[in-house]
Amino acid sequence: MKKKKCIAMLLAGGQGSRLGRLTSSIAKPAVSFGGKYRIIDFGLSNCVNSGIDTVGILVQYKPLILNRYVGTGESWDLAVADGGVHILPPYARETGGEWYEGTADAIYHNIDFIDIYDPENVLILSGDHIYKMDYNLMLQEHLDKESDLTVSVIEVPWEEASRFGIMSTDDQDRITKFSEKPAEPDSNLASMGIYIFSWKALRKALLEDHEDKASSHDFGKDIIPKMLAEGKKLSVYRFKGYWRDVGTVQSYYDSQMDLMDDVENINVFTKDMKVFSNSNMYPPQFLGPDANISNSLICNGCTVYGTVKHSILGSGAVVGAGTVVEDSIVLPNAIVGRNCRITKAIINEGVVVEDNEVVGSEDGEVIVYGQAKLSI
Amino acid sequence: MKTIGLISANYGSSSFGDLLENRTLASLPYGGRYRLIDFALSNMANSGITTVGVIAPYNSGSLIDHIGDGSEWSLGRKNGGLFLMPGSAFGVQSRGSRFLLRDLLKNIKFFERDDADYVIMSGSSDVWNIDFEPLIKQHSKTDKPITMVYKKVPKGEDYHGYFLNIDDSGKVADIRTESFGWSNYFTDCFIVDRDYMLDFMNWFGALEYMDMIEIMRTNMETMDIATFEFKGYLGKIKNPSDFLKVNQAMSDYDIRNEVFCNPERQIYTKTQDEAPVFHLPEADVRNSVISAGCVIEGRVENSIIFRSVYVGKGAVIRNSVIMMHGEIGDGAVLDNVIADKYVKINEGVKLYGGGGEPIIIGKEKTI
Repeated sequence: MKKKKCIAMLLAGGQGSRLGRLTSSIAKPAVSFGGKYRIIDFGLSNCVNSGIDTVGILVQYKPLILNRYVGTGESWDLAVADGGVHILPPYARETGGEWYEGTADAIYHNIDFIDIYDPENVLILSGDHIYKMDYNLMLQEHLDKESDLTVSVIEVPWEEASRFGIMSTDDQDRITKFSEKPAEPDSNLASMGIYIFSWKALRKALLEDHEDKASSHDFGKDIIPKMLAEGKKLSVYRFKGYWRDVGTVQSYYDSQMDLMDDVENINVFTKDMKVFSNSNMYPPQFLGPDANISNSLICNGCTVYGTVKHSILGSGAVVGAGTVVEDSIVLPNAIVGRNCRITKAIINEGVVVEDNEVVGSEDGEVIVYGQAKLSI
Repeated sequence: MKTIGLISANYGSSSFGDLLENRTLASLPYGGRYRLIDFALSNMANSGITTVGVIAPYNSGSLIDHIGDGSEWSLGRKNGGLFLMPGSAFGVQSRGSRFLLRDLLKNIKFFERDDADYVIMSGSSDVWNIDFEPLIKQHSKTDKPITMVYKKVPKGEDYHGYFLNIDDSGKVADIRTESFGWSNYFTDCFIVDRDYMLDFMNWFGALEYMDMIEIMRTNMETMDIATFEFKGYLGKIKNPSDFLKVNQAMSDYDIRNEVFCNPERQIYTKTQDEAPVFHLPEADVRNSVISAGCVIEGRVENSIIFRSVYVGKGAVIRNSVIMMHGEIGDGAVLDNVIADKYVKINEGVKLYGGGGEPIIIGKEKTI
């Protein structure tokens, strides 16, 4: 097998409990986004658009829909002979089975997998970010600087810096300090949770970390501070562009509203570095004689008889006559009946809203309506 | 009962002008995201048929590009799968002929090499969603080597093709090219015993310039043909007016549900993975079908808009079909127009097709 310059490991096992009902039956990376996508599409598309053809996807929490969605990886042009996507759940060994106990632990359990490909570098990704990024540019910088670890960072407003993991750097962009949610930040470079390690350095760090009983086996909390303390060469890669962590209902909602409100910045629909998805086959949308749609994103398979304002309708969603959907997101295959009023709400996948229902309100918080009924 | 499928795509029509200049009828874009052959392919796939031959025309570029290895229809397989087979070059005789014997003889190996009991033969230009399983079941119970699929159509309507005179036992007594008051319209689809098909090609080999149905029609005394009625929607497209009408049929609630939104039998097509449609605040879309990737700033009524079309501010599109990557400038007005791929309509241009045949704008033209 040809030796790989870089393979990606995509962390997709977390529960995403802050997304509440959205993740009650589905792993966070498989949650719908922007009507026709699922969150994992962004990471997978970035990989293929960056020339990375080997991706391990670490799953643990309710992975069935995610596994089915990823399939052979064909939808992202990742069904390749000498690599491709690999779903990596925890598995039993001679000594028994263990769950993934943290981000670093998940990678530790798959050292054998990475060794099969014997890459020079390993890219660690989260499955819950919305962004377009050419990892190749980051890899190039990582190689040019001969770093052991390169952390992708984004400049955040100073007043928000204390909400992030902050990297302090010297004038060569070498990391001098890492502080998780510092009260008084001395830098505004926030870690995006995207790392490129030289495999040799990561492998050693993982083995040592596994033996450390005090460790929580987390990249941010344990591995990076440890490598920093050991004087390893850690650098930042400055990413510029749209990037959002959609870990909460509010950020998940806001980021999707950006698709309509912040068209200049959010570039997910542009043709360069196209975002791919494994969408089901739907006919084009049908808009009825009295449909009234403005400032909205409507997907294939939708049927609309009512009014839709500043909202997103996912694939196969239906909006009945007399209904007004405003500032809302109707996830795929949800059916909103007649004469309903949906305001500032997220209607979960496959949920039926009966006629005449009122969901959400203008002033309230964004609410998630219904338990997802997912069909394969 | 093992059944394989054969789809003929080696026929065109002279009445479509520019629309069929560089493509076969089978690869004519339809319904916002489909090509006409998707229906024949999906019907086969949805009926559990895993070996399908497609007889391609000489100008097969767009067809091959669309079908690829057949994986969209689950035909990218090791055992069976899709067989793309060359047909003969178009001749005057074969224009419009679905089952030209020469095309079948040229690909006789497709019939010889398989061990299937039956072959379903289908044209590739109708919009319909049929389950072949009841057809196969009925055919397996008769002793007749052929079962033709027909649809009852309103009498006196101007249909182009073959009509069947069916006797009381359900047997085809006669086949005619005019209706004679019969309402049993042949759907360009039949099932035949594979052995009989080989015999047929052998017996009538000298008539290779003829259509198989034509041979059957002129040799009725030796034919023993059963019939199967299809009761669903059949969208027949023989000219641009039909094309517009059958496209607009997608807006009909019942037809949409029967043909396009049947979860048991989906219509598959090549996926392009476009973004959702962006309806801007000025957009006003009614009774229309819009495909992914479009950006709409104007008005659209009773129309079909294919993927990645831009409709500018104040533009009005009525009773029209705009194929993929069209660009309709601000303030343009299109009424009763069929615009092929990559058509650009400049700002303020107004085109009215009137009550007659739609205006056709050829591929990549700018007006």
